[in-house]
Amino acid sequence: MNVVIASSSIDGGIGCWDLQTGAEQLRYKTCASPPHGLASIGCCFLACSQLRDPSATSGHVLYWSWSKPQAQVKSFPAEPIKPLAANSEGSYIVGGGSSGDIYFWEVASGRLLKKWHAHYRAVTCLVFSEDDSVLISGSEDGCVRVWSLFMIFDNVRQQQASHLYEYSFTEHTLRITDIVMGYGGWNAIIVSASEDRTCKVWSLSRGRLLRNVVFPSIIDAIAIDPGEHVFYAGSRDGKIYIAALNAESPPSNNYGLHIIGSLTDQSKPVTCLAYSAEGNLLLSGSEDGMVRVWDVKTKNIIRMFRHSKGPVNNILIVRLPYPFTRTESKVQASSRRHESLRPPLEKYANSSDEDMDNKAIIALPDTIDLPSYLSSQLINDHVKQLQQQGSSAAAEMEVKRLKLDGQRSMEMFQQLKKVYDNLQEFCVNELLDGQAMEGSKGN
Amino acid sequence: MYDVGLKPSMLRSLIRQYLPAANQPLDLNTSCFELPKLVSVLQTHRLLSELDSHSVGPKLINAWKLAVDDWLGCLLSLLSSDMSDKCWVGICLLGVTCQECSNQRFLTSYSVWLDKLLSHIQPPSESQLVKIASCTSLSDLLTRLARFPEEGAASLLYTLITFFPASIHHSYDKVEAAIASKILSGKYSTITLKKLGYCLALLPKSKGDKDSWSLMMQKILISINDHLNEAFQGVEEEAKSDDARRLLVTPGKDLPSPLGGHTSLESGSYNRTSSERLPTATISTLMFCCCKMLTSSYPVQVTAPVRSILALVERLLTVDGSLPPTMLPFMNSVQRELICSELPVLHAYSLELLIAIIKGMRRQLLPHSAYVVRVVTRYFKICALPELRIKLYSIIRMLLLSMGVGMAIYLAPDVIDNSFSDLNSPGGEDFEISPVNTGPVLPQPSNRKRKHGTKTGSVEKQEGANPKGGESNIHQMTPINVKVAALDSLELLLTVGSASKSDSWRSSIDSLVIRTAINSCKRGWGNVENNVFLPNESASLWADFQLSSLRALLASFLAPARVRPPYLSQGLELFRRGKQEAGTKLGQFCGYALFALEVLIHPRALPLDDFYSAYHNPTDGASNRFPENTYSGSQKQNTLFFSAAQRTDEGAIKSHNDDLYNKWLENEHNAVEDMKDKTSRPNDSSLANVLEVSEQEPAAANADVHMRGEDEMVVQPRRLEEPIPKSQEIVSAKVDKSPPAVGTNLEGGEIESKKALSASDSLNDIDHDMLSGVNKVDDFDTVSRKTSSTLPNVEKGSSSMAHLESESSMDSFPNIVDADPDTDSDSV
Repeated sequence: MNVVIASSSIDGGIGCWDLQTGAEQLRYKTCASPPHGLASIGCCFLACSQLRDPSATSGHVLYWSWSKPQAQVKSFPAEPIKPLAANSEGSYIVGGGSSGDIYFWEVASGRLLKKWHAHYRAVTCLVFSEDDSVLISGSEDGCVRVWSLFMIFDNVRQQQASHLYEYSFTEHTLRITDIVMGYGGWNAIIVSASEDRTCKVWSLSRGRLLRNVVFPSIIDAIAIDPGEHVFYAGSRDGKIYIAALNAESPPSNNYGLHIIGSLTDQSKPVTCLAYSAEGNLLLSGSEDGMVRVWDVKTKNIIRMFRHSKGPVNNILIVRLPYPFTRTESKVQASSRRHESLRPPLEKYANSSDEDMDNKAIIALPDTIDLPSYLSSQLINDHVKQLQQQGSSAAAEMEVKRLKLDGQRSMEMFQQLKKVYDNLQEFCVNELLDGQAMEGSKGN
Repeated sequence: MYDVGLKPSMLRSLIRQYLPAANQPLDLNTSCFELPKLVSVLQTHRLLSELDSHSVGPKLINAWKLAVDDWLGCLLSLLSSDMSDKCWVGICLLGVTCQECSNQRFLTSYSVWLDKLLSHIQPPSESQLVKIASCTSLSDLLTRLARFPEEGAASLLYTLITFFPASIHHSYDKVEAAIASKILSGKYSTITLKKLGYCLALLPKSKGDKDSWSLMMQKILISINDHLNEAFQGVEEEAKSDDARRLLVTPGKDLPSPLGGHTSLESGSYNRTSSERLPTATISTLMFCCCKMLTSSYPVQVTAPVRSILALVERLLTVDGSLPPTMLPFMNSVQRELICSELPVLHAYSLELLIAIIKGMRRQLLPHSAYVVRVVTRYFKICALPELRIKLYSIIRMLLLSMGVGMAIYLAPDVIDNSFSDLNSPGGEDFEISPVNTGPVLPQPSNRKRKHGTKTGSVEKQEGANPKGGESNIHQMTPINVKVAALDSLELLLTVGSASKSDSWRSSIDSLVIRTAINSCKRGWGNVENNVFLPNESASLWADFQLSSLRALLASFLAPARVRPPYLSQGLELFRRGKQEAGTKLGQFCGYALFALEVLIHPRALPLDDFYSAYHNPTDGASNRFPENTYSGSQKQNTLFFSAAQRTDEGAIKSHNDDLYNKWLENEHNAVEDMKDKTSRPNDSSLANVLEVSEQEPAAANADVHMRGEDEMVVQPRRLEEPIPKSQEIVSAKVDKSPPAVGTNLEGGEIESKKALSASDSLNDIDHDMLSGVNKVDDFDTVSRKTSSTLPNVEKGSSSMAHLESESSMDSFPNIVDADPDTDSDSV
């Protein structure tokens, strides 16, 4: 079941709707999120960083399990965290701090595995690549950086390298508002949006700018269509522009080079976008508190969800592995075991005992052991064994050997008999002779 | 055959025919050997199933029921017979009955059967066969029982099946001690030990909590460690064992009780004198046990001591039997030989353990991945035995697949070095001359115990017996299956990592791969159904090699690159030839390869949905929930779009319907146009360029012909590179000039020329050459638009545009693109 998750910068909770039917599901309470602060952790639970008053020195991150409206785990990182992202498996969470540091936590243990200084100013977006080996971050200073996570965890290579990042793109002049990554591993493209009213397309494999698209207004959100034909850019003027990637762009139009059209509902600024490959739907969140579902083919709105009065600033489409309502009890059963044990994110690295550095909490892969019946196989095996002992060839050899033995014994017997006969004859003769002698003597 | 009515009487006749009556003596030689046949008849006709009861009359049901009753009566009387052979027959057949009978019957009578079977296990005097048979039948009974949902807990039962007696979790420690003592004694056959190891690995499941798993893991690791300390005295530095110990036992925490209680360990390790033999069997069983623990499912999350397992692997892999430089050789040569002879087995198990860790940890290996990579690459340098190399290659493939691009960047140099040396070494070429002669070259599975330190001696002895040629350096040859593993790894490296920083190695790998593929296919195709005298593996090995080399070749064509695949034509030729081998895997693959390469030759970047119809067919809006929105939104949009892009309209629709065909037609049209253009303006500044082209054209054409005509690889891609950027420019230049020339086609002119451009992109070089001529264009905007419209194709790397990207075009290309942000930002 695909659900739409949306949160707002004003506390309206996290809304959750079934994309197919439009039915609203649970609403998760008390959440005021910054842009890019909402993340689904491996489809197991929801995490969201929280907006706090600027004077607060520590951050605030909440976890919700799917089945309960109340936040279950609260974490207080060392500084305010805005963007959050998790890898596809849900084993790691990264957060971007307002100082420009990136925090890397292990979900199962809550341990802060790494923290590194990534940008000069606050981190605004974080994106994992589809193979989870690359992390892309954007910052308030307009810088987009590409990190290989292997480098982050390899102390030896770090010493050899002059910098931690793989690429640092500095062409944007103002705050980065959104980053999306296309398909194709290291051959993918990255699209970034900035307050300088441009979206830029980068090649990851070559590390350079491919295209610059200038928009009539500031773009706060981008979504890329899975065929990478176009990308959609949600703008502060309320329009969603369609910009060409693979598509041919018309020679001239009202908006500017590479912009081939727009979706518009005369609404307030568009703050976030999400693309659902199932049915080619585009979801947009707006400052008027609505989530609109567009059919990109017909450019019609096919559904609207009302989230709150305040601006929606995060939309996610999450595929839940089970129908939400039916197995509620089962979910709870499993969540009680797994999720309630999930520890909060730690504030500092190395705060726990060092022993854990050498260990990892893992969920072992589910293997299916099909039970199988053995008796008929056993009969075959045993019969084979028995046959080997009594095979006809073997029996024949045995018979021959026995015959030979018999023959030999027979000969022996004959021989012995002969000896015995001789002996007897001798004895009898002796006896007879002796008697004869005695008789003769006596005579 | 399918008549249900016959089944009861069939069963009865089976009883008469095969089951010995209780009072008659059993004739082993006749009835006993017919049992498999009896079982197969039972199973084929499902004689015990009592199924279909709803579709047949009650009379038949009754008859069938009575027949099965008789059957069971016979079995039970056999079971209670005091003749062990009769008993055996009864027990075996009862097991089959457990599998075959109806649910109802099973549920009503399984408890009786259980008692009967148990009674045969307990008395010690029973014959071995009877005991084994009873255990097996009992296992079948439990298996059947596990399928009933009300009994639940299938996993628990699975454990029960594996362990006897049944109530395992009450006597956990006893079972652990029993299994451990057997493993530690090391006296059993390898298969038995493996089964025991598996049981030990599954044992924590019977408790199913986090701690018992970790404890068992720790106990096993400590036990392995102790054995290694003893075994490796003299071949490794003392400090190593201390290091390993420190990782295993956290300082300040209590040592867990030894595996299976102390008595068994003591007796196990002191029973033998260490100089006589190494406890290899024990160590390897324990390592196998670790592997199973890491890869079998477990109900809760567990804490795995990753670091200490990795340290164990590293420790084992570092020991190669040579003496550490810092130590005095106090070990005598007999001991050393002993260790050397056992090391390959231990190394093989260490690699298995590494595989298990990678499987068990998945993405969570990340913090340890650099360490793993270092262990693997270091071992790759010293590893020489074929089986171990094959395993290493498979580890590399797992790492590449599970960890993605970042791993590819790290591993690339080592994969390339090693596969180069493996694929370049002799072996394959000699192999194919006399395929019958291949047996000795293959590593026999039993060869594991070859000495590691002294490779030349033992290998030559074994293989030098081969009377045919090549003995002198036969030990230097790389066996085919190692080459297969190397090729497979190259293929994966190309698919995963070729987009990143591959410039330095790409061309050499491409040429290595094509060379290997051509060599492997030089002498025809490996025959899978070779002849019945050869063992199966050797017959199909050559076919595997060819398949792997062709797979690597396809990957080298499809992998993103900045130049046109230089050996494409030879490769296509190979695939075409291979495709004709119908009915083989290889033929199937070649067909697939040709299909995949088609996109490389005719690139297309089609929209995901039919994007254009969205813009050009106003929607019906019937199913709309917000009709007013729709009309205000989409209608306006449509008009907007039409006014803006009316001229694209026609072309776009056309291109969408019959893309390639139109491209070709239009291209032809334009080529003619182009010629007209040139000839009509002889005084144009392009004249010199035209001349230049006429010189270039034959050269380029020659290169092409040359390439296709011969098998040599003397293509000069640089020749072809030059004209192509120009061709773009000329086409875009025409964009402005062609409409007046066409005259009649004002509206579609520009579109068509654009089509021509994209067509020329996708066509072969000849077309480019024909088109190329003028190389100065002033209309910058058009150029940049053209370029950028083709640009995503380049990014995909899957198009013929790839060959467009030589270094020279690379330089010019992005400049054009870079230019447009500038101009744009100026205007903004």
